[in-house]
Formats: sequence, structure tokens, C-alpha cells
Amino acid sequence: MSVLVGYVPTPEGEAALAHAIGEARFRTMRLVVVNSSRGDAYVDPRYALADEVEALTRRLDAEGVSHLLVQSIRGRDAAEEILDAAAQHRADLIVIGVRRRSPVGKLILGSTAQRILLEARCPVLAVKAPG
Amino acid sequence: MDVWASLLDGFATAATPVNLLYALIGVLLGTAVGVLPGLGPAMTVALLLPVTYALEPTSAFIMFAGIYYGGMYGGSTTSILLNTPGESSSVVTAIEGNKMAKSGRAAQALATAAIGSFIAGTIGTVLLVVCAPIVVDFAVSLGSPSYLAIMVLALLAVTAVLGSSRLRGFSALGLGLALGLVGLDPVTGQSRLTFDIPLLADGLDVVVVAVAIFAVGEALWVAAHLRRTAAHIIPVGQPWMAKEDWKRSWKPWLRGTAYGFPFGALPAGGAEIPTFLSYVTEKRLSKHPEEFGHGAIEGVAGPEAANNASAAGTLVPMLSLGLPTNATAAVMLAAFTQYGIQPGPLLFDREPELVWALIASLFIGNALLLLINLPLAPAWARLLQIPRPYLYAGILFFATLGAYSVNLQAFDLAVLLILGLLGFGMRRYGLPVLPLIIGLILGPRAEEQLRKSLQLSSGDVSGLWSEPVAIIVYIIIAVILAWPLLQRMLPRQEKP
Amino acid sequence: MALLLGAVGAMILWDASQLDAPYSQSDPVGPKTVPYVVAALVLACAAWMVVDVLRGGHGDAESGEDVDLTHPTEWRVVVPLIAAFVANIFLIDLLGWVISGTILFWGSVWALGSRHYVRDFVISLVLSLLTFYGFYAGLGIFLPAGVLEGVL
Repeated sequence: MSVLVGYVPTPEGEAALAHAIGEARFRTMRLVVVNSSRGDAYVDPRYALADEVEALTRRLDAEGVSHLLVQSIRGRDAAEEILDAAAQHRADLIVIGVRRRSPVGKLILGSTAQRILLEARCPVLAVKAPG
Repeated sequence: MDVWASLLDGFATAATPVNLLYALIGVLLGTAVGVLPGLGPAMTVALLLPVTYALEPTSAFIMFAGIYYGGMYGGSTTSILLNTPGESSSVVTAIEGNKMAKSGRAAQALATAAIGSFIAGTIGTVLLVVCAPIVVDFAVSLGSPSYLAIMVLALLAVTAVLGSSRLRGFSALGLGLALGLVGLDPVTGQSRLTFDIPLLADGLDVVVVAVAIFAVGEALWVAAHLRRTAAHIIPVGQPWMAKEDWKRSWKPWLRGTAYGFPFGALPAGGAEIPTFLSYVTEKRLSKHPEEFGHGAIEGVAGPEAANNASAAGTLVPMLSLGLPTNATAAVMLAAFTQYGIQPGPLLFDREPELVWALIASLFIGNALLLLINLPLAPAWARLLQIPRPYLYAGILFFATLGAYSVNLQAFDLAVLLILGLLGFGMRRYGLPVLPLIIGLILGPRAEEQLRKSLQLSSGDVSGLWSEPVAIIVYIIIAVILAWPLLQRMLPRQEKP
Repeated sequence: MALLLGAVGAMILWDASQLDAPYSQSDPVGPKTVPYVVAALVLACAAWMVVDVLRGGHGDAESGEDVDLTHPTEWRVVVPLIAAFVANIFLIDLLGWVISGTILFWGSVWALGSRHYVRDFVISLVLSLLTFYGFYAGLGIFLPAGVLEGVL
């Protein structure tokens, strides 16, 4: 019984988080924030480090939402991690941020969003960055 | 021999557009490889050895030297911005450098590292110009027995002094010597260790062995223990330093150079020890000792100068005596052999254009590196976003390509794999790789000197110590070998 | 540990047996001496290592700049890598570099964890093609074209 959001420090991720907070409050459920990295590269700006985590926690506290942060570096895709966490925490809703991609981009870079949409067992809310 | 005239000639050769291009390629590759942890100049030069078949020796060596120096520059970028050393010689830089970066002084850290590296590299190369001919003059006067003694000393020093276990060092050395034996005996032409496989009659190609041990072995080893990290690069603008920083940096630069050069020139010296010594010295001499551990600029300036100076120092024995003191030098020596050039004291006599062009291009390379690293350091850091699978698959890919292109035989690839697995096993069980390569390269040459000495003395074993230099060296060897025993005999000192 | 000893020990046996064949001639030292010396060295090391291991010593696995030693060897990664490598050895002359190189790179990246299949395939193919032409144009080396003989 929770709302799950896949979070990355990008405009799409922030938009998703904002909506997820709203949903969690509306349903009075816990918000599970998933932020993971494959860990393949030495550097991954999409992974939240200590100071970003702190800021995130403070914000969620301020919003008055009960939350849980799930971070892992296991060499698995974001889609896998999110679906895993959704199953584990019995998510009623998954919120993800999506970006426009050109047809070629979709082919070569794969689509996390598509996988989640197709394989999730619960409704999925896809949010675009404003503007 | 007028050294400075030769050097000027060297500049003329090094400054041709082709060679400048190769210098540029070398320093770019070297920096890239230095930035990426897990890759290093030794591996890169090994991977490029096959290319030597198609390039002019001068151009190839200019490129290799560029890679060597470049590696030292690149490693510091990662150390500072990521707290992971890009090269083992940059470990110490990370201590202060990363702290500086975290407190917003990344630009200064990068600047002091780059400028210090440049100064140290330049001074080091000048020292190389001065020292090498002296060593060569001395070495040319040596006969076979003394030369043999020195080679044995080099083998032993690397084996017995380095690493945690002399046993393993010797084992590695033994393996290297054994690999060097494969093939036809140069004097009598009889085949050794070829197991009736005709393809082995030529001996094991040094290129294949080097690529296997350094590249394939390393890649397999890293693959087996794949690290998963997700760090952030500390964002930084253009590196620069304030006047205060310059004032605090220049003495550490000089001191670091003083530490680095001699250690680079000694067998088993390496670059790690002088960087550590430099750090400790700077800490002790600093007017701001409380800053150490929180981002003291001297702690970056000194060690960075030290590691570049040691790179220059390594080239002294390599060029003048043909003795490698670290892995990259060993691989470069392998390249000499590939070209049929005999490394050793006569190198300066026989191939002066090559040697002086090489040395001249070191100066050019240093300057290029400063230009590349100072403004572009943040850009280099972006390389760190390449996922490891591509990097290590790339290593295997190019290793295969290179080894195959040597003889266009799939058999070489099998050898590559087997030796690669050997390299893997060695890393697993803590056998140092350096003695193996040095054994492989020096073994046959030492054997040659041995047999020459004995031929000269008509089979009389005492011919081996017929020269004063030989006697001295053997005494040193005896001391090194006996050292652990002596240590045990001395009374144990109480530790406070 | 025992593995390594076995390996080292095997080396010596090889060494020693091989050296009975050649005979020395006028040169007083002959081709046999150094091999015997080396064999002796390796033998001694093997023996010493047995003693060392029995006494509880062990080799420290080498830590590099990018190695994570907290977990045991991940054979799941190494074995496919070796498999890709072996495949290349057999296929390079048969199918040509372009194909076998592509398989090598693609297999390696997969073994190392990358799961972007299409992207990896494209990269592998491009790399193989580029190096094929590059080696020909830049270095004058003909890599085998194999099955694609007429095409390239």
C-alpha cells in the first residue's frame, strides 16, 4: 500500500516527485522513492549522493509525507529496480518522469518508461517536465 | 659528444608535423587513459605495440612517451574530482586534492597539479638529458661480466624489494624467464620449450605476452571483480590559481621533483614512494600543518611533481642501460626489441636521432599536456561517464586485434588467451606482474651476456667476476639477498 | 593456492623433461644451463610456496584502481568473456574479422553487464568495420574478410 516514484535529479524526475507527493498525500499512503544506478560508469549524475539525499529527505518531511528512500547499485536497469521495489512494497501507483524521444532514440537507447508501463501490475502515472 | 647540439637536432626531428601529430595522439591517449581508473599507460602502450609494425620507430616512441607522461597528468584529474585515483601514482593527490575540490577549490587543485607536473616533467627531462650521457659513458666501458652483473641486480631489485612477498616475486620472475626461454636458443639454434609446435619456434612474441599480461589479464581480473559505483564529478570551471597559491606551491613543486627523479631512476623505486615521501615532507614543512587533511595545496603540488619527475627518472636507466624500472618502461623496451633495436648503452651511439628526437619530444609533450590539461580538465572528467562494459570490452577487442595483426595467426590469439589467464591467475594469487615482464625481456639478454662472459674467459667461471664493477655489484646483490636474514639477526626493537 | 602450485610445478616438469633433448657443444655453457637454472628457480619457488601456504601464508589478490575485492570472483562475468574470446579465436579466420570482432565485442559487453542489445550491436559492428578499414588504410594490414570476402 504505497505510492512509488522513480526519482532522478532531472526536470522530469522532479516533476514526477512533485506529482508523487501529491498522490501520496491524497491517498494517505507512504511514498517510496526509488533512486538507483547500474553503477556501470565511474560517474553517474543520476544517482543521488549524500547532500541530495539530505535535501530530498528534508523536503519530504516538510511536505508531511511519510517516505522511504530505496537506493541500490546492483548493475540492474532502472526499470527493473522500480518494478522490483513496486512488488516488494506493494505499490498501488507508480509515478515516473518521461522525456520525448525521437524514433531513433527510442530504438537505440531503449525505454525505461515503456518497460514499466507494460510490465507493472498497478497503474502507472507518466509525468512530463513542465514547459 | 656535444649533448646540446644533439638535443637541438632532436628538436628538429621532433617538431616535424608527423611527429608532432604522434606526440599529440600520445598525450591525448595518455591523459584519457590516466583519467580512467583501471586503465594505465603500461596497458595502453602494450595494446599499441602491434602498431609498431607499421610506424617509424621515432614516431612510435614519441607517441609512447606521450602516453607515459600523459598518464601521470590524467590520473590527478580523477583523484581531485572523484577521490578515486586514476593512476596508482595519484593516490596521494586524492588526499588533499579531493578535499580541496569539496571545499570549492577544485580549480586551484587542478591548476597546481597541472603546472607542477609540467615543471617537474620539464626539469626531469633536463636532468635526463644531463644524466643519461654520463651513465652511457660509464656503461660503455663495461664488459660483458659487469653488464651481466648489473642486469642480475636489476632483476633482483625488482623482484626482491617490491611487493609483499619475495617468494611471489621470485615465482613471477621464474615464470618470466621460462617464457623467455621458449624458442630457439640463439647460440646453438636448438629449440627449447617448443613442445614440437612449429609456431612456437620463433619464441613467444613479446608483443603477445605483453598484451596478454597487461591488457587481457587486467581486463579479466577487473571483470571478475567489477566495481559498481555511482559517484558525482565535482563541477569545476577553468583551473587557475591565485598568487597566494603560487607562492605556496612552488617550493613543493621543486621538492617533489627532487624526490621523484631519483626514485624513478632506481629499480623498484616506482612513483608511489616518492609521492608519499613528498606528502609527508610537505606536511612537516608546511606553515599551515592544520590544513593537511582538509585541503592543503602543498599536498597536491608536491606529490604531483614527484610522480611526473619519477616518470622522467625512469627513462634514464631505460635509455642509457636498457634496464626497465617499471612496467611502462618494460613495455617500451619490448617495443625497442620489436624494431630490432638493441636497448643498452650503445643505443645513444647507434640510434642518436631516435633517442634525441624522443627526448626532445618529451619537452614538447609536456608543453602540450599543460595546454590540454589546464583548460580541459573538466572535459576529461566527462570520460568517466563511459560505462565500464564498453571500456573493458574495448580492451579485449583491441588486444585481440593487436595480437592478431602481429602475425595474422589465430594461434597467437590462443597464446594470448592462455597467457591472459596466467595474468589473471597471477593477480588472483598476488604474484607481481612486473618481475615476469622484466624476466621475459632481460632473461634472454642476460643469458647472452653470461655466455659471452664465459666464452671470453674460456669457460672459467671466475671470469664472471673479473671486472671490478662486477665484483661490487655482486656484493650489493649478496647484501640484498641476505638482508632478511640480517634483519632477523638484529635484536627486535620495541615499538612505542 | 594449490592451483598455483600445481601450475608452477607443472612448469618445472615441462622444463626439465624438455631439456634432455638438446646437447651442448663447443660453447662451455650450452643451451641447457640457463634452462636448468630457471627450472631450479621455479622448482625452488614451488617448494617454498608449499611451505608458505602450509604455514598459513597467502597471496594478496591484487587491488587495482578499479577493483572491488569485497566479493569473490564473479565467474558469471569471466566465463562468458572467455567464451566470447574463444569464439573469436575460432571464427576469425572462418567468418572474417568484421563478424567475429562484432561477436567478440558484443559478447564481452553483454558479459560485463550491458543490456542495451541493439545499441551494443550497432557499436560492435561499427567498431569492427572501422578497425577493418582503418587497419587496411592506415597500416596496410589485411584483416581476414572471411565470409564477406566479396562484399568488403
